[in-house]
Amino acid sequence: MSGIALPRVIRRREAIGLAVGAALLWLALMLVVAVFADLLRPYSITAIDLGHRLAPPLSFGGTLTHPLGTDELGRDVLSRLIISIRVSLLLAFGATLLGLLMGTSLGLLAAHLGGLVEQAVLMLVDFQAALPFMILALAVLAFFGDSLPILVGLMSFYGWERHARVARGLALAAGAQNYVAAIRGLGAGAWRIYLRHVLPNIAATLVVSATLAFPEVILLESGLSFLGLGVQPPMSSLGNMVGYGRNYIETAPWILLAPSIVIVFTTLAISIVGDMLRDRLDPTTSRA
Amino acid sequence: MSLLELSGVVRRFRVRRGPLRAPLIVEAVAGVSFTVERGRTLAIIGESGCGKSTTGRMALGMEAPDAGEVRFEGAPMPPPGSAAWRRMRTRMQMVFQDPLGALDKRLPIGRQIGEPLDIHRIGTPTERRDRVAALLDAVRLRPDQAHHYPHELSGGQRQRAVLARALASDPVLLVCDEPVSALDVSTQAQVVNLLIDLQAERYLALVFISHDLKLVRQIGERVLVMYLGRVVEEGTPEAVLHAPAHPYTRALVSAIPEPGERRVPRAVIGGEIPDPSARPSGCPFHPRCPIAVPLCRVELPPLKPLSASQSVACHLAHGDAAPPRVRAAA
Amino acid sequence: MVRFILFRLMRATLTVVLVVSFAFCILRLAGDPSQVVLGPNAPPDAVAAFRQAWGLQRPLYLQYLLYWNGILHGNFGNSMLDGRPVLAVVLSHIPATLEIMGPALLLSIAIGIPGGAFAALRRDTATDRAVMALSVAGFTVPSFVLGLGLVLVFAVLLHWLPAGGREGWSSAILPVMTLGFGGAAVLARFTRSAMAEVMGQPYIRAASAKGLPWRTVVQWHALPNALIPTVTVIGFMVGAMLAGAVVVESVFSWPGLGRLLVVAVGSRDVAVVQCILFLVAVTMVTANLVVDLLYGWLDPRILADARR
Repeated sequence: MSGIALPRVIRRREAIGLAVGAALLWLALMLVVAVFADLLRPYSITAIDLGHRLAPPLSFGGTLTHPLGTDELGRDVLSRLIISIRVSLLLAFGATLLGLLMGTSLGLLAAHLGGLVEQAVLMLVDFQAALPFMILALAVLAFFGDSLPILVGLMSFYGWERHARVARGLALAAGAQNYVAAIRGLGAGAWRIYLRHVLPNIAATLVVSATLAFPEVILLESGLSFLGLGVQPPMSSLGNMVGYGRNYIETAPWILLAPSIVIVFTTLAISIVGDMLRDRLDPTTSRA
Repeated sequence: MSLLELSGVVRRFRVRRGPLRAPLIVEAVAGVSFTVERGRTLAIIGESGCGKSTTGRMALGMEAPDAGEVRFEGAPMPPPGSAAWRRMRTRMQMVFQDPLGALDKRLPIGRQIGEPLDIHRIGTPTERRDRVAALLDAVRLRPDQAHHYPHELSGGQRQRAVLARALASDPVLLVCDEPVSALDVSTQAQVVNLLIDLQAERYLALVFISHDLKLVRQIGERVLVMYLGRVVEEGTPEAVLHAPAHPYTRALVSAIPEPGERRVPRAVIGGEIPDPSARPSGCPFHPRCPIAVPLCRVELPPLKPLSASQSVACHLAHGDAAPPRVRAAA
Repeated sequence: MVRFILFRLMRATLTVVLVVSFAFCILRLAGDPSQVVLGPNAPPDAVAAFRQAWGLQRPLYLQYLLYWNGILHGNFGNSMLDGRPVLAVVLSHIPATLEIMGPALLLSIAIGIPGGAFAALRRDTATDRAVMALSVAGFTVPSFVLGLGLVLVFAVLLHWLPAGGREGWSSAILPVMTLGFGGAAVLARFTRSAMAEVMGQPYIRAASAKGLPWRTVVQWHALPNALIPTVTVIGFMVGAMLAGAVVVESVFSWPGLGRLLVVAVGSRDVAVVQCILFLVAVTMVTANLVVDLLYGWLDPRILADARR
């Protein structure tokens, strides 16, 4: 009996390992592309080549000069893709980090100070959770305009409420632990307690929370850019490439296919890695 | 001037019973007084819920009494959490019951033992390292164990690490709240012996809180017996344990397993400890007391000296009331 | 029970008030509303007329009260683009959105819940993994990619369905599928874990030990209990679908609220945006309230807690 069960378990574990390995490989590739974008791209993203407009990619009869084809202005799709990867990843990374910082600080503040501060933070958390973020984001963009700093600032508000909730819950639980009382009894001040003792103990869960938010931020930014309300030209992001390519879906579908595939694979890869991290670092949380 | 002096400290807790009813006021400690000097040991014993832990915390100023006063080296204890209070932590420390919970599981114990030195900026980094090494030696841990994590040590070793940490800043007062209750019997003996030695070496004032009378015999010079937030008997270990004057103490002592001849006849008390929010009138022990008389229900017996080495709070012990008519022996 | 409802109602109202105040504040924060709406190069008399119309010369608290007064009377101002009263414009776009959101919700429930339950019953088999893989695809594939992919396949390559617009019921198929797929993915995952947890409970084994056929156990004991927490997810899904509708309607040129919002944002028609924000807030809060009450009614433990 066990002889039959064992191989299946092993096979499953190998299969999972394969998925995580592939995900990490893809992410590494994306990272390299993002960092070395300027060295890798064959053309400038604004280089117009009207003689070669809407050229198809390599496998559909294209040439090596434009391996992924060109768009309606003859701009090289591969180059634009490379730059877009950098822009989208940078934006998403920055926004996730900011959101994590903000959420954690507010959550810890609420846990430590309690009283009115905690109630205020909880109310803000409820408020943020009450509206779908896309709608809130659109409203803010309508009022404030869509310059890049506004965009980054706006996206950093995504998911902060999740981090705040997690941070507050964990800080309260940690604070109730005996070692925190013992450290306080040693005469340590609040800063020391939180920075040296509480935060390192809850960091793992917070990191997992951030890796879960990261793909959603990418999706948010690409959604907004697709609608023309996110990253603006001449800057190119994965979302706005799809947005422009949409008009040529019948004549030149490769314009939107390449960025779409990158978006899907990247968010998939991060989700897989995030799930693995969660299983490893925090086996206590349930897999919802 | 005593090192530590508690005068009639009272501690009340408010228990909310919903938005419409008045909160319940529970008196966990209802008037306790004692003094402790350097080099001396005071043992506080009693059942769970008698208020001994709360008394210990008030002694260190971790909680402020609702009435009464706590004085350390003649000066009133600063409010808990204040900067002055935090500075005083170098002079007094608490050792808790759960050594694993009292240590941060992510840091090696060497770091944690040295933490008070970091907090209060005592000594240069080299001096701190030497101090930690000396402390490890003092609590009979090996120097290489400084790099171990709490979960890599045994229960006894952990508690010794906690002790080392408590002694890092060279305090003069140590309050131990059930420090060995979580350990097995042989380890208990080890740690208690270590405590006794450390106290002698460093001339510490020691307050030892426990529910275990056997330990108290070893370590106490004076014993306080608490019941429902009050001191019912006080005295030297010989007096209290060999000739207990209070019926409650008598019952506790008689419950100690004793090989061979029984020195104190077995006294059984019925019932359970009453809810401190619903205190019995008069003497708090009277509902369970085998020799209670009508006076006990009415008047709270004060703690009065019975002899040079013993005080007791019982009407009958002092002869202030006639014993009940039916008695097992004359 | 009454206290439970009242408390939830109070919180819901507070949230709506907060949202409206939020809209009010950020519009003022963004600078002079007249600048925001008319742009920096507007002629001074247009600016003056705007300020007059919006009462911007009055003190702030008065503006706030007037704002609320307007809302409660259904007056959200007039649209920038065509001058029509905003509320009328917004309300006229609602049916289109409902036409795709309603079926999409039903589709999500019809696919997601059985899919998730099925996967839970056949854990660790190929079916389970297939369902889970599909649901992961639901999170990671953005709705515009899915929508465009469907257009590519069904409209461009196969010519079976129209690529966009709102003409006849066939044009609604692709939008509904796009919207519904994401929701189905979320529901499937959630139902699977809820079901798996329920199936592990002792009372399920007891029911089957009683001699009940497996199908009955699943249908009458496991599924209903697993569905109770799933109800809360549906509340969240309404919000997610509203957000999804924004993108999907743009992909398919579907003239609903989502597309109206995008156009309004693009042309800085803040009156329309404010009105839509208010409506969305009210809808979300109501949906959550209904879900809360439903959950309380379905799970007797919640009410017992509230009564204490």
